[in-house]
Amino acid sequence: MNVDKFSYDNQVVKLFTIATVVWGIVGMLVGLIIAIQLYLPELNFGIPYLTFGRIRPLHTNAVIFAFVGNLIFAGIYYSLQRLCKARMWNDSLSQFHFWGWQTIIVLATITLPMGFTTSKEYAELEWPIDILIALVWLAFGANMLGTIIKRREKHMYVAIWFYIATFVTVTVLHVVNSLEIPAGLMKSYPIYAGVQDALVQWWYGHNAVAFFLTTPFLGLMYYFLPKAANRPVYSYRLSILHFWALIFLYIWAGPHHLLYSALPDWAQSLGTVFSIMLIAPSWGGMLNGLLTLRGAWDRVRDNPILKFMVVAVTAYGMATFEGPMLSLKNVNAIAHFTDWIIAHVHVGALGWNGMLSFGVLYWMVPKMWNTELYSKKMANAHFWIATLGIVFYAIPMYWSGIAQSLMWKQFTPLGILQYPNFLETTLQIIPFHIIRSFGGLLFLSGMFLMGHNLLKTVKQGKFVKNEDAEAPPLIKEDDKMKRGMIHRWLEKRPVQFSLLATVAILIGGVVEFIPTFVVKSNIPTIASVKPYTPLELQGRDIYIREGCNTCHSQLVRPFRSETERYGEYSKAGEYVYDHPFLWGSKRTGPDLHREGGKYSNLWHYLHFEDPLQMSPGSIMPPYPWLLTHTLDTSSTATKINALRSIGVPYEEGYEKFANQDLEKQANQIADDLINNGIPADWDKEVIALIAYIQRLGTDIKGNQAK
Amino acid sequence: MKLNNRTFILLTTLVSMLFGYSTMFAAEGEATLDKVMKFMLVVTIVMIAFVLWLIIVYSEKEDSEGKTFKAPLIALRKYLTYSTPIEKEQEILLSHNYDGIRELDNRIPPWFKMLFYGTIIWAAIYMLAYHVLDDGQVQSKEYKVEIEKAKLERDFLIRTGAFINEETVVFVNDPAELSEGKEIYFKNCATCHGQNGGGLVGPNLTDDYWIHGGGIKNIFKVIKYGVPAKGMISWETQLDPKKMQAAASYILTMHGTNPPNGKAAEGEKWIEPDDNKISSTKGS
Repeated sequence: MNVDKFSYDNQVVKLFTIATVVWGIVGMLVGLIIAIQLYLPELNFGIPYLTFGRIRPLHTNAVIFAFVGNLIFAGIYYSLQRLCKARMWNDSLSQFHFWGWQTIIVLATITLPMGFTTSKEYAELEWPIDILIALVWLAFGANMLGTIIKRREKHMYVAIWFYIATFVTVTVLHVVNSLEIPAGLMKSYPIYAGVQDALVQWWYGHNAVAFFLTTPFLGLMYYFLPKAANRPVYSYRLSILHFWALIFLYIWAGPHHLLYSALPDWAQSLGTVFSIMLIAPSWGGMLNGLLTLRGAWDRVRDNPILKFMVVAVTAYGMATFEGPMLSLKNVNAIAHFTDWIIAHVHVGALGWNGMLSFGVLYWMVPKMWNTELYSKKMANAHFWIATLGIVFYAIPMYWSGIAQSLMWKQFTPLGILQYPNFLETTLQIIPFHIIRSFGGLLFLSGMFLMGHNLLKTVKQGKFVKNEDAEAPPLIKEDDKMKRGMIHRWLEKRPVQFSLLATVAILIGGVVEFIPTFVVKSNIPTIASVKPYTPLELQGRDIYIREGCNTCHSQLVRPFRSETERYGEYSKAGEYVYDHPFLWGSKRTGPDLHREGGKYSNLWHYLHFEDPLQMSPGSIMPPYPWLLTHTLDTSSTATKINALRSIGVPYEEGYEKFANQDLEKQANQIADDLINNGIPADWDKEVIALIAYIQRLGTDIKGNQAK
Repeated sequence: MKLNNRTFILLTTLVSMLFGYSTMFAAEGEATLDKVMKFMLVVTIVMIAFVLWLIIVYSEKEDSEGKTFKAPLIALRKYLTYSTPIEKEQEILLSHNYDGIRELDNRIPPWFKMLFYGTIIWAAIYMLAYHVLDDGQVQSKEYKVEIEKAKLERDFLIRTGAFINEETVVFVNDPAELSEGKEIYFKNCATCHGQNGGGLVGPNLTDDYWIHGGGIKNIFKVIKYGVPAKGMISWETQLDPKKMQAAASYILTMHGTNPPNGKAAEGEKWIEPDDNKISSTKGS
């Protein structure tokens, strides 16, 4: 029998590994900074680029796409070659993928603090970067599928199924959610508006968690866990069941991010029931992971890698049970918009993604440098620091979320809100936020410890750039599909497999999108809702630039405690000109959907200058630059044209007069401010932002349709 | 142990019924204590039934060594996990070998299947209950119920006089209430009207002139409903009427204090009608 001699490319794995550690430290450091900013707003040093609203997206993007992303690629490039018994299909593509991905990250770290953002969570990067992401991602996919096709192993192992599902789904998610119309080099508007934009965004957001933070990691778990434990995988048929169930069901569950919103009830209910149905398929992964360790638990005690993996898989199980529970409307009514969600996310992110990443890194690095881990003791210390970090992070955040939510909902015996002043509830949870940032600090210190340990390991070993391997070539055989062996048959056919996976992940999205886009009754129109004036539009874009939506929602839910606090609950028809929607996902500050007309222009002016002037104790940072920066009105025409092209009914030719209207409205506000003793200029950014805020939610005042 | 199909179906139904019952309040905003109690009751009954089942199934077996006690649990565990013991693992080891990774072919645990099928049945019941048998207007209906209930309670409070409104409000001279009023004033009003009532963004509250009329009733009204056009917000949903009364009363006590840097007078000079002089006290 002849044997092919070839080699595995460790070089690209090495590059991605280094990037993982470096970006991991950066991303978590930014996380720590914003955690502290929540009780020490001065930590932004009064610099616009470091305000919470701008660097919170930087934190999420850095940890998801830079830390976890690079780790996924390192892990896939390492395991895929070995599972396929083949070198990566094309070394240049690997290089392009690596450098392309790092370019995207660098661009993100520059553009997000500068305020270039689409405001859509985990998809904040502007359109030119979106295009680059698509190109790099396709390069990765081509390289992966090429490798799978020219593999020497007859069947594809379960890890590869998950890699394929990851690739096809993220492609679909990224393309559909990034359909936007450019209005300048670094500005765009999504083609969807309001409720539809919200639905698309959370279909994306939810499945970014599913297909970027879950499926690739399950794939990695299926390779690295049995490897590290040296045990066979518990159940092959469970793998098949939970894989297909998971990818089919996951796609549907996006609307659970929009419960009690203006999204049609039927779509919300679908979000709920599909989340509940996800419990078992998710747990299938945990079961197969934990039960693979049957008979190896003694090794867990003295092997830090296995320890990391056990905690990771357990955290995965907890998060995937908690997620469906949070999708029950009565639980969601309490948890949504609070720190509970932040806690939930971090159990997944720190526990599942973080801990598994550490396990994988501690496994791969000594292998590639042909040596032993420099210090097992240090790795053990890392394990305990990281675990403690998660505990110190999650527990206070659960308390904080529940405490604040109950305060929001509390009525006095006379039926008046007990805590009408939102700020009171904010100040109540500050101690929890202090403890949380300590947890974050612990987790970050663990990263440094690991960096040091891995560096020492690298120093004592010698890097194997091309690892020699051999395997018999794959002989093509044309076999028929047999009863009971269908999946085995499919495992030999990557193309058919990918197509089937694509169909499985498309169904849910299609069923939820088409009725919401086509059936009129899903978004009842309201005659009094009109497009934004040019000034309001510019103000809205400043709102987006400053990331106001990271802390303020624009969605009053249909609860008495919210309509009492904010005003009439939000209706779908109110958002029809909102490109993008700005419902937000977290209420660090109060909801703003009915803010229009609540306070005077002067109040807002002084509040932006320094919130402490109007609300003592506020943790909102001052925005003095809004008072001095001149509004860029040169973009008005482009913006009007762009919005008209996606359906906002600005009259033909209006762009020529838009700035006249803008100036008129701005002067009214400036005059009002001057009358109240503030020497304000009409052409400052703050005027536009005030105009937008005063417009919010006022369209339906007077004809409050129920 | 052979998989008993009938028991399997029975347990699956039980699980989904349990889920199904929880649906009834799963979609509602604020679970009331009453519903939680009902749910707990059902859980308790199910648990008692389960224990009874264990007793009936295993009570007849004679065993002096106490094995009977453990046997049902072991049997149940075996039934629920249905896993091949490690010693016999070779029998289910598949020929798969991926870079040294082998795969076993353990059967999928029955408890896992029950959970999976149970949640699917639950999902079907949920969708049926809200969107086929009902009209699907889930949240607007819930909201209406919540608001109507609150309105009934409010009407009752107004009738009994516990809930003060602009008709029944009076100046209170009680030091305790006035100091509460002062506290409320500092917390909510002082940012716009100044610490000593001299006016900042908002008008001066210490002079004889009032834009919307002076006297306890007018002041109460302005606090309650606000003057949105001028930036005075409505406090109706934020302050108990008693607190608004206390604040309004405190504001009246600042009359004539003539603080330094006070804002110029705005509005009309207010002359207090005889029937509600400041001197009238609470409850009179």
